[in-house]
Amino acid sequence: MDQLLPPEIVEAGQTFPAALAACGDLDTLLRLKGAFVGREASHATRLMELLKTAPKEQKRELGAAINGLKQQWEEGLKARQAELEAAKRKLGALATTWDPALPPPQPPRGALHPLNRLMDRLVDVFRPMGFHVEEGPEVETEAHNFDGLNIPEDHPAKASSDTFYLAAHPELLLRTHTSPVQVRTLLRVAPDLAARGGIRFLAPGRVYRKDEIDPTHSPMFHQVEGMLVGHNIGMQHLKGTLEYALRALFGPDTEIRLRPSYFPFVEPGCEVDVSCPLCGATGCRVCKGSGWVEILGAGLIHPNVLTYAGIDPSEWSGWAFGMGVERMAMMLSQTPDLRLFFENDQRFLKAMGGLD
Amino acid sequence: MWIERKVLAQEIPAAAALDTRQLCEALAALGFPVDGVAALEGTEALDVDITANRGDAMSHRGIARELAAKLQQPLAPIATGAVTEGEALVPVRLEAEACPIYATAVLDLGEGVTPETVQSFLRALEASPKRLPAVDASNELLLRYGHPTHAFDADAIRGAVSVRWAKAGETLVTLDGVTRTLTERDLIIADEAGPIALAGVMGGDSTKVTEDTRRVLLESAWFEPKVVRATARRHSLHTDASHRFGRGADPAMARVARDLLVARLQAWCQAKLIGAWTAGAVPAPAAPVDLGLALLARVAGEALPVEAAQEALSRLGCIVTTVGDHLRVAPPTWRHDLAIAEDLAEEVLRLRGYEHIPSVLPPMEGPPEHLAPAYLLRQRVARRLAQLGFHQAVTYGFISPEADALFASPDNPAAGRTLANPLGYEYSVLRASLLPSLKATAEQNLRQGARQIKLFELAPTYRSTPAGPWEQVTLAAVWGGVQGGEDYLSPARAVLEADLAGLARDLDLPGLPAIHRLADGLFGFEVELDALPRPQDRIIPLFRPFSRFPAVERDLSLLVDLGQSYAALHQAMGASLPAESLLELRCVDVFRHKSLPEGQQAWLLRMRFQAERTLVGDEVDGWVAAALAAAESLGAKLRA
Repeated sequence: MDQLLPPEIVEAGQTFPAALAACGDLDTLLRLKGAFVGREASHATRLMELLKTAPKEQKRELGAAINGLKQQWEEGLKARQAELEAAKRKLGALATTWDPALPPPQPPRGALHPLNRLMDRLVDVFRPMGFHVEEGPEVETEAHNFDGLNIPEDHPAKASSDTFYLAAHPELLLRTHTSPVQVRTLLRVAPDLAARGGIRFLAPGRVYRKDEIDPTHSPMFHQVEGMLVGHNIGMQHLKGTLEYALRALFGPDTEIRLRPSYFPFVEPGCEVDVSCPLCGATGCRVCKGSGWVEILGAGLIHPNVLTYAGIDPSEWSGWAFGMGVERMAMMLSQTPDLRLFFENDQRFLKAMGGLD
Repeated sequence: MWIERKVLAQEIPAAAALDTRQLCEALAALGFPVDGVAALEGTEALDVDITANRGDAMSHRGIARELAAKLQQPLAPIATGAVTEGEALVPVRLEAEACPIYATAVLDLGEGVTPETVQSFLRALEASPKRLPAVDASNELLLRYGHPTHAFDADAIRGAVSVRWAKAGETLVTLDGVTRTLTERDLIIADEAGPIALAGVMGGDSTKVTEDTRRVLLESAWFEPKVVRATARRHSLHTDASHRFGRGADPAMARVARDLLVARLQAWCQAKLIGAWTAGAVPAPAAPVDLGLALLARVAGEALPVEAAQEALSRLGCIVTTVGDHLRVAPPTWRHDLAIAEDLAEEVLRLRGYEHIPSVLPPMEGPPEHLAPAYLLRQRVARRLAQLGFHQAVTYGFISPEADALFASPDNPAAGRTLANPLGYEYSVLRASLLPSLKATAEQNLRQGARQIKLFELAPTYRSTPAGPWEQVTLAAVWGGVQGGEDYLSPARAVLEADLAGLARDLDLPGLPAIHRLADGLFGFEVELDALPRPQDRIIPLFRPFSRFPAVERDLSLLVDLGQSYAALHQAMGASLPAESLLELRCVDVFRHKSLPEGQQAWLLRMRFQAERTLVGDEVDGWVAAALAAAESLGAKLRA
């Protein structure tokens, strides 16, 4: 049958469905229509001429083939035209009825937890100074949580009234601070500390203390630990680093203040205050009128902590700090009740969280 | 501890000239922040925060000593009466090294009560006066000078007094009326009939001073801090005395405090001193500590003049000599916290003021380290989920055994994950799954009227092992309620399991995790984070050529039984199609309607083909026919 038709028309017929599907608008479709079934110089008119000149004995068969083709083309074009017209009508309807004040479809929008956002921000602030993140397990040994940190054998924090212990494993506990990550990390890097050129890291994470749940206490909370070990590290380096970080966090005009304090794992130890980020140190409810807010505890690493990890304190020295994430989050957001951070009311999470 | 301003000024007269704010700032700079100020009993008292290492500062004298060193002002002398020691009236035997000195005296009490000024001082410090001079004087001395003393009713003591370790099973009724069963690690004061006091913690009831007491035996001793701490903890008996002895009292104060107590009783109630004597002696001081000037300069951030360091330490009561390039420092008897060079460096900096410490960024000594892939993965997953509309939840790591059992596998028994001392039953098991917590949180939100709830959590879950709970970071997501319907273009519909499956696919989870129906219209899944694909090492993937020829799309609408497995159909149709040209085969619509034959549904299967040439209709028709034949072999029919 096909051998009766011109090969170029046979080929055109084969590509017709694809060409039809590719028509995205009515103009293109009309051009296609003209080429196939137009009144002049179309495939259809050429076929009709062919039929006129065909030998009489072929006319019947050829006519049926041509009609079949023409019918297929015309039906295809008609259906596609209806589709395109319908789409155009819908577009037109939208274009004429769209009211920009009508609430548009909202892409979904979730939120990271505010405590995680705050911890992530701290990591971002310390990254340019070469700090990376170290992590450790929440179930810890007494050795990592207490002994390696120069915490005396009979320290009250070890009591079962303060620390959660595992029933089946009396030597295991839920870490009471992120400081055991110090011990783990120092033990790991001690053998090649010189080749590394010291170490500096942050350790954000969840910690547990046996506090009843109330507006200012939670048995689980978050800390961010920071530590740096190098040569000839002194209080000036602690102050310099914290000044940089807290200004990055709270703004370039932020002042910091170090006050003597005591933690078993540092010597000297200090508390660090920051000029009140809420009132600009003019005095408000948050800073109780003093212009200062206590933000973290810190100090130079106690030689016993370095020695425990196998690091020679006569060669190496360093600083460490620990920060309560909830306390800072509550201060910055003025959230009145700590429990809100663990209730996970979606309204709270949406309002307090964000995408970064 | 509360510090009363008038009494403070009696110890350091220069403090009287400071206003409250100046005083608070001076104390904070010394490491004693003031938590509050109270106007009490016509005077002002400061709530001073004293760190656990500074037992020596837990008194008005102690705080005054610190201020004197900082302000470079003199302390008032301690006015002790002249007490001449003589023969022991009652033998006092020190049988344990934990008590090296025990100063005592016996007095006959006369008429008189505690002076009103002292009563008011005690009230201001929240220590209620007993109006018994021997008791009030002891309390006043403790708060003022930091040295705990005790008065026994001398007539209630039988025979010699000894300081000894208790015998296991001995009992003592303490002043609070509680019967204490003692152990061999409890240091006690005993007479010949048995224990009469827990050393450094609390006196005994049988020898306590009452209104009928005529004769008192005073105790002013020094007890080993560790021993007192242990006894206080063992008996859950934390007293003003145990706090001070437990943190280290001043052994040199034993005699002084005894003398002060005698003088007060003589003045307040015309007591008559019968005799005073001391057993034992002030223990030898610890060896001096060397402070190298290089270490001091390293800690301080700059070289400090040796004279300045020497002078600062001297002001704190240290005996300082210069030996070569270091200072040799003998701390005073009241400072038990100055044990290493760093302690001394801190003292020098503290008196100088931390505000003088320079601010310097530490130089890099080596290359910075990368963030760990596991950490980066968590960050990426959390951000992706937040972008998809999920809220990150943070819930407690311990839950109730019942909640835990909902999703714990049978080979993960709760016993290995149970806390010995939980806050309560509902917080007693380290969870095997995050889903119970998220389920409860989601239901709470829905009860509170949330229309749609989308939560995820990234936290450890636990598996019991012989070595202890094994921890693995886990991701769980829950989704429930109604989605859409909040604007004129998005129809409302219930959240379905399929939504969770789509989420799992978005996160590139390998395979489909088990999707749990947590409640009506609430679904969730959980995967260990290790199961997620790690971020690729390549910054961007290796280039793979793609066809620029147009793709051809064909749809097949198939009638299938309601029970037809899509996986089987997909597999059969896919296998019939040329893999090199098949871009995609997917069901894009499911149609279930009463107009369809009973027990059947219609699936719209879409196929997309592409090759390195223009595909011609016949060829594609052949493929589609083959795919249809494959579908028909499973009982599907082309929908008319």
